[in-house]
This record gives sequence, C-alpha cells and structure tokens, in this order.
Amino acid sequence: MRLRLSYDDRSAAILVLPVLAVLLVVAAYPILYSFWVSLHDIVLTRPLRRPFVWFENYERMLGDARFHTAVLRTTLYTVVTVTVTTVLAVGVALFLNESFRGNRLLNTLLLLPWATPSIVNGLMWKWIYDPTYGLMNALLVKLGLIDSYRAWLGDPDLTLLLISNAAIWKQMPLAALLLLVTMKAIPDDLYRAAKVDGATVFQRFVHVTLPALRPGLMLVLVYETMISIRHFDLFLIMTQGGPGDASYTLSWLIYVETFRSLRFGTGAALSYLLAMLTFLLSWLFIRFLGERNS
Amino acid sequence: MARRLMLALFSALFVLYVAGPVLWLLSSSLQMESEITAVPPNWLPPHPGMHNFVAIFSAGDSAAYTNRGIAGFLPSGAANLLPSLYNSLQVGLWVAALNLLVSLTAAYAIAVIDFKGRRATLYTVLATRVIPDIALVVPLFLVIRNLGLINSIGALVVTYLAVTVPFTIFILISYFEGIPRDLYRASRIDGCGHWGALRHVYLPLSLPALVAALMFAFLTSWNEFLFALVLTQSAAAQTLPIIIAGFVMDFTTSFSFVNAAGVIAILPPVLLAVIFQRYIVSGLTAGAVKG
Repeated sequence: MRLRLSYDDRSAAILVLPVLAVLLVVAAYPILYSFWVSLHDIVLTRPLRRPFVWFENYERMLGDARFHTAVLRTTLYTVVTVTVTTVLAVGVALFLNESFRGNRLLNTLLLLPWATPSIVNGLMWKWIYDPTYGLMNALLVKLGLIDSYRAWLGDPDLTLLLISNAAIWKQMPLAALLLLVTMKAIPDDLYRAAKVDGATVFQRFVHVTLPALRPGLMLVLVYETMISIRHFDLFLIMTQGGPGDASYTLSWLIYVETFRSLRFGTGAALSYLLAMLTFLLSWLFIRFLGERNS
Repeated sequence: MARRLMLALFSALFVLYVAGPVLWLLSSSLQMESEITAVPPNWLPPHPGMHNFVAIFSAGDSAAYTNRGIAGFLPSGAANLLPSLYNSLQVGLWVAALNLLVSLTAAYAIAVIDFKGRRATLYTVLATRVIPDIALVVPLFLVIRNLGLINSIGALVVTYLAVTVPFTIFILISYFEGIPRDLYRASRIDGCGHWGALRHVYLPLSLPALVAALMFAFLTSWNEFLFALVLTQSAAAQTLPIIIAGFVMDFTTSFSFVNAAGVIAILPPVLLAVIFQRYIVSGLTAGAVKG
C-alpha cells in the first residue's frame, strides 16, 4: 500500500517541520534523555562508572530528609505566593475595571513589574531588605513599627515570605491583566439585574463577578502554581537556600544536587519528581475548581 | 465624592506598590557609594549624578570606578558588563526574528490546514513547556556540548527558541482562528496555495499578534537566567543577568554599581513594554476569555 499525501498534508508537513526540528533537539530529546539519566547512578566526580539502577535514585530521594524539607518549603512558598498573588490581582482588577481619570496610566504602570527581569527583581528586593542600608528597616523604624534595624533575610521565619513577596510583586500584574480581561467580558445586564433585585456591592461581587471570573481565576491559579513551584532565580540571588535550610526549596535542592554535588542521576530524578508534583497540583486545581463550576 | 476619594487613595497605594521599589532602585543608582551607605538612607539622591553609569560604560576602567567616591577597587566582573549587554541584545534580536519565522508557518498550518496529526503536533508543541526548566538544564547542557555550541551565542539562541516558540504559536493560533475563514477560501479560489494564503491573507491581517510575539521572544531572552547560567562560561557569551547575578553574590562589589547595572537591565524591557503596551496586553490575554 502506498502512502499518498494530499496537498494539504504535504504543505503542513513542510510548514511545521522547522518548529518540530528545533523542539525535538532542544526540548523533546533532552526531556527523554533526562529520564534515562534519572535511572542511572551518575556522579561526575566518578565519570567511568555509571551503572543502571532502575528507580533507586527516586527511592533514595523520597527517603532523603533534605527532600522532605524541600517539599515542605516549596509547598509553603507556592501556597503563599499563589494565594496572595491571586487575591491581590482580583483587587487590582476590580480597581482597574472602574472608569476614572488616570486609569490608562495605571494600566501602563502595571507592566513595570512584569517587564522587570527576575534577577533585577531579586537584587532590588535584596537591597530593600538590606540589614544596614535597606529601605525596609528605615521605613519601619520611621513608622515606629520596629525599634531597631533587623537582618530581614537572616530570619529563618521570614525568609521564605520575603522571597515570596518579591515574586508576588513581579507576578501580580499578569494575573491582574488576565482577570481584568475576563471581568470586562461580564455583561452589564447581570449587574443591573442584581441591582434591581436589591443586591449590595458585596453581594454583587460574590454572586455575579466571582462566578463569571471562574475561568480566568482557574487559568491564573494553574499558571501561577506552575511557575511559582519552579522558582529558582530569586533563591539563588537572595538566600542560596539559607539561612540554615529556611529557603531550601525543590528547585534549589535540584541545583545543589546537580551542580554542586555533581550527582546528575539523583538531580534528574528530583526534576521528574518536581514535574510530577506540578502535574498533580494543576490536576487538583482543575478538578476541584472546575467541578464546582458545572 | 466618597467614590472619588477612594479611587484616589487606591491609585496612590497602587503607584506606591508597583513603582516604589523600582524608584528606590533608580534613586540608589544615582547616588555615590558614600551617599548610598548613609544610615538612615537618603530617599532621594543628595547630589544626583551618572557616576555609576559612567563607570559601567567605561568598561571596567578603574579610574572611572574610583571617581565614584570609593578607594580604587574594581570588581572582577566589571569589565564584562558592557560585552554582556551586547550579548543580551544580540541573543534577544536573533531569538525574536527566528522565533517569528518558524512559529508563523507552524501556527498557520495548525490553525488553518486540516492535516493528519494536527492535534498531535499542537499538543507536542505545548507539552514541551510543561517540564520545569531546571529539569532540562543538565540534558540540554549535554546536547549543546555535543553540538559544540557551549559558551556561544548560538547555544542561547537555539535554547530560547525552544522556550519561546510554544507560546508564540499559541498566540498566533488564537489570532489566526479569529480571521474569517471566507478570506482564506477566497484566496484559494483565486489560485493561492498555502504559501500565498499565508502571505497575502494571514500575514497582513495579524500584525498586532506578530508584534506581540516579537516582544515576548525578546523579553524572554533578555530576562532568562537559568539556561544562560549553565550554557555560558565566559564573557564571550554571557548575558546581562549572569553578570549582574555575579555582582550581587560578590561581596566586594559596591551597591551603587550593582544598582546601576540593575537599572540598565530593566530599561529596555520596560521601554518596550510601554511602547507596545496595547499589543502586549492583547497578546498576553489571548485565549483568557475563551477559558
């Protein structure tokens, strides 16, 4: 049997070929290769012996105390970052959805954090948190909220939250923009009808705005979770996992395992565990938020 | 009246939150080292000046560095800043151009042509973005090394191409699907093949989406850190974020210098975002309403 391709099929093949070639070499192949690596005991300081060990790397990591710490830190960081980003974004979207003078200017300003490179975001907040010369100490002392200067990032109870704060600052704009677009699509009739029924502002928000926002909210939650859970740049710049293990997240553990201990096998296994965690969380969001919708 | 007061209050809070941190960075970058290390800090530069920027653009000349008011010491990476700025620009422009070229044809095929394996192609493209970057770093390093591209601009261009292409295709597809199908049919009746339809119908009609795609590709390349950290090793290919991160983690670097470097890194993306705001917002939110 001869395979006959139509004009459409042939054209499409030529048109998608360049993209598929690039993705095959720099994405698909590395992804599969990484899985293969995760099944081997590869340590770069011992280059000649790299035995195939099945899922031993995964087992070892799942039983490793550092892994447990990292999962705990990553979860806390992600939950805080995603929750605050979303709540803040809903507020900002509601605010920008009002019509007032200067609205357009504020919309433009909203792109400032979004466009800021994450490395600059990290150095900027590190500088704000600086124990001696930072803005935060000066501001809080001036307002009378603290008596003396503190080493903010050196406080294990606060580190994760302060890094999270930097992440929220950068991520909130995109979330707000997505929600704003969804909000603008809500027909005015719904609000008018609710007004006629005597609903208060709060009731209108709960019964009209929130249900209509659900698709936008879900998009924001899934997207923000997927990127927060893998944050790395801020941790490298601001704390390098410290103080102690206060900001020792999964991404940081992968980095240390791979590039400092040069254990590529366990590093790759950890990466796959992180990918699975990401999938699981997105699935949970879609499942629970999606179901209440219907 | 109460409403106007509330809006004014919220506007003030909004500006303070969104712009405050960047303004503080800007203010710090215009101060001398002795002014920046005052306690309590100077909110505004007492004697605003461009010393730090001059030091950066004199590419590691220790005289310019000393002129800023501290003893003659030059951070080891200072000479690399200017080359890295050039590298970042080069990578960004290459990625933006190539990204558009390959995404355009692929998005056209997926959005317009009903071919065998259309869905599979789309899902393959999108699925490559689901794996965290950090999981890709090691195997990618090995692939790039085998290609002989380690520590080259080319390595970064190819990598960022793979990173940006899925999103560009996503934007372009949702834009193409909004273009009336009748225009496509008419062009086919007039004797256009797929190439002709792409050139004469889809390309001219999707300018906003194309601008958005260019912007994203450039901004992503400009801001990317992790891959650049692993794939480049010297000033020949290192990009701006790598050099800046080096400054931040080097205790001997002065704060004012770091802050000025930060301002330089922030400037191009912010300017682009402001100039192309309309396209960026419509590109970012493409598909958000459809849910």
